[in-house]
Amino acid sequence: MTSSSPASPTADASTSPYLRLRGVHKSYGDTPVLQSIDADIARGEFVTLLGPSGCGKSTLLRAIAGLTPMDAGDIEVAGETITHLPPQRRDIGMVFQHYALFPNMSVADNVAFGLKMRRVDAAERRERVEQALALVELDTHALKSPHQLSGGQRQRVALARALITRPRILLMDEPLSALDAKIRQHLREQLREIQRQLQLTTLFVTHDQEEAMMLSDRIFLMGEGHILQHGDAESLYTRPNSEAVVNFVGAYNRFDAEQASRLLGRDIEGQCFALRPEALYLVSEKSAPALPANPGPGCRGTIAARQLLGSIVRYRIECEGLSMNVDTLNRGVRSLMTRGSDVVVHADIDEARLL
Amino acid sequence: MRRRFRPPLALWWLLPFALVFGAFQLAPLGYVALGAFRVDGGWGLDHFREIATSAFYRQAILRSLEIALVSSLLGIVIAAFACYGLTRTGGRVRRVLIAFTNMTSNFAGVPLAFAFIILLGANGTLTLALERLGLVDTFNLYSRTGLMIIYTWFQVPLGILLLLPAFAGLRREWREAASLLGAGRFDYWRHIGLPALWPSLVGTLSILLANAIGTYATVFALVGNNYNLLTIRIANLVSGDLFLQPDLASALSLITVALLTLMTLIQQRLMRGRPHAGKR
Repeated sequence: MTSSSPASPTADASTSPYLRLRGVHKSYGDTPVLQSIDADIARGEFVTLLGPSGCGKSTLLRAIAGLTPMDAGDIEVAGETITHLPPQRRDIGMVFQHYALFPNMSVADNVAFGLKMRRVDAAERRERVEQALALVELDTHALKSPHQLSGGQRQRVALARALITRPRILLMDEPLSALDAKIRQHLREQLREIQRQLQLTTLFVTHDQEEAMMLSDRIFLMGEGHILQHGDAESLYTRPNSEAVVNFVGAYNRFDAEQASRLLGRDIEGQCFALRPEALYLVSEKSAPALPANPGPGCRGTIAARQLLGSIVRYRIECEGLSMNVDTLNRGVRSLMTRGSDVVVHADIDEARLL
Repeated sequence: MRRRFRPPLALWWLLPFALVFGAFQLAPLGYVALGAFRVDGGWGLDHFREIATSAFYRQAILRSLEIALVSSLLGIVIAAFACYGLTRTGGRVRRVLIAFTNMTSNFAGVPLAFAFIILLGANGTLTLALERLGLVDTFNLYSRTGLMIIYTWFQVPLGILLLLPAFAGLRREWREAASLLGAGRFDYWRHIGLPALWPSLVGTLSILLANAIGTYATVFALVGNNYNLLTIRIANLVSGDLFLQPDLASALSLITVALLTLMTLIQQRLMRGRPHAGKR
C-alpha cells in the first residue's frame, strides 16, 4: 500500500475491502460538498481524511456514520450495504472533536451507555467498562464527572465509550484539534497503539498534515468534495500529483518552466515544477553540505529572511530573480546564516516534481 | 500594621441596588413580619390561629396552591415543547417567535384580562364561534377552568424565555453520539436530554409557581372578589372599606412568603440529587 493514485482510491485496498464507498454524493443547496466519492478501505487499516476546512472530509465521515443523509451513493461494511440504515444499526463508533460526553453522567456511566442501550447485563457491563477505562489509562477516574477531567482525559473517555461496543469501524472527527500540543502528541501515540492492538478499521479526519503522516496507513487528501490523491505518507509528501496537492502538502516551492530552467541549469518543458524546501541545498562560507548526486550548476543568491522552526531553519533566498524557501537542519548558533549572506543554491533535480 | 479594608470599586456599583432592595424589599418584609404577630397592641399568634380555623382562608390558600400548581405544570410542559420546536427552527422564524414570546410575556394584568374577556368572555368572539360550531356547550371564563386557562396563558411565554437557553445548550453531538451508541429518540430524552435540562426545568417551575401565587391584577380584573385566592384576600384586608385588617393581611402575606420559601427549598433539594447536571 505504498502507491499514490490521482483519482479513485480503490486500487490500494486489499482484494476484499472492508469499507466500500461508491459514488457518495452530497450537496447543500447548489453547493456540492461530496462529489461521487469512491473508496475502498481494508480491514484494520488506519485511513486519514486530510484537507482544508470545507473540503468535505467531516461530511464524508458523518455520511458513513449515518448522521448526514447522502444524495446518492452506497456504503458497504463487510459486504453489507448500510446506506439506508439508521446510525443505531450501523455498528460504527465515533469520537467527536469536542468529546460530546454526556454531562449528567459519570465517566463510567458515559462509557457504559452503549452497553446499556444493548441491554448488556450489569455485571458484564461493569467488567467491560473497567477494561475500556484501563485501555485508555483512566481506570482511577471512573466515578468522576466529565467536567472534572482535562481535555485530553475527556477525549480518552470518549474513545473508551466509542470502543466499548466493539464497533466494526471507528470514525474520529478531528479528535485532537481541541487539545494543546503536548497532550496531542501523547494521545496520537496512544490512539495508534490502541488501534493496532484492536486491529480496528479507523477513519480519522484532520487538517493537520503532520498528524496525518504520523498516524496513517493511508492518507486521502481531499479538496472541494473530491479525493485529490491518496497513498501512504511518503508517497503523498514526495510525489504530489497536482497543484492543489502541492498547495496543501509541505511548503513546496513552485516554479514555471523558465524559472525551473534557470535554477536547474538546463531546458525544462512543462507547466509547473514543485520542489520541496529540503530538496534545495545552501552552500556558503559557513556551510558546505554534501550535495545530491545530481545538484545542477547552482544559482547565486542572498538570504532575504530566516525563520527558526525548532530543529529546522527556513531561509528565504532571492536568487537570480527567483524567490524560494530552503530548509536546513538547525545544527546550532554558529551554523546559522544571517540576512544578506551570499549563498549558492543547488537543487536535487531527482526530487523535482513536474505537475 | 493592619491594612484598612478597601472594597473594590465594582462593589460601589451595587450600592444603589442594595438601597432599593433594602427600602422596597427588606423593609416591607420586616414590616409584614412584625404586623403578622401584632395583636391589639401586644404580640401573639392570633392571626395565624384565625387563618387556620377559618374555612374561608384555608380555601384561599388551597385554591392559590391548586391554580399555581396546575398552571405551572401545564405552562412548563407547553413551554418545553415550544422550546424544543424553537431550537429546531431556522433563523428568521425563530427570531420572530422569540420576539413574539418576549412581547406576550409582558402582556399581563388588566390588558390581558380584557383581551380574554373579548375573546372568551360570555359574549367573546371565540366563545360564540365555538358555541355556533357546536364545539362547546357553554364556556365560563370566570370559573376555575377559565382562570386556569388565563394563568397557563401567561405562564407559557415566561416558561419559554426561561427554558430556551437550556434547550439551546443541548448539544447536537450528544444526540448524535447517543444514536451511534444505539439510543433511540426516547432513550436520548430519558437518559441525556431531560437529565441535562433538569436543573433548568426545576428552577423554571419554581419561578412559575411564585409567579402564579403572586398574581393579582389579572385575576382581580377578571373575577373581582368572586374567586377566593390568597392575593385577593390580602388585597381586601388592606384596601377593603369594611374589613380593614392590615395585620391579618400581613399574616396571610407571611404564609405566602413561607409557601414560596418552601418551594425554593424543594427545588434545591431536587437539584441536589443531580451532581453532574448543568456542568458541561
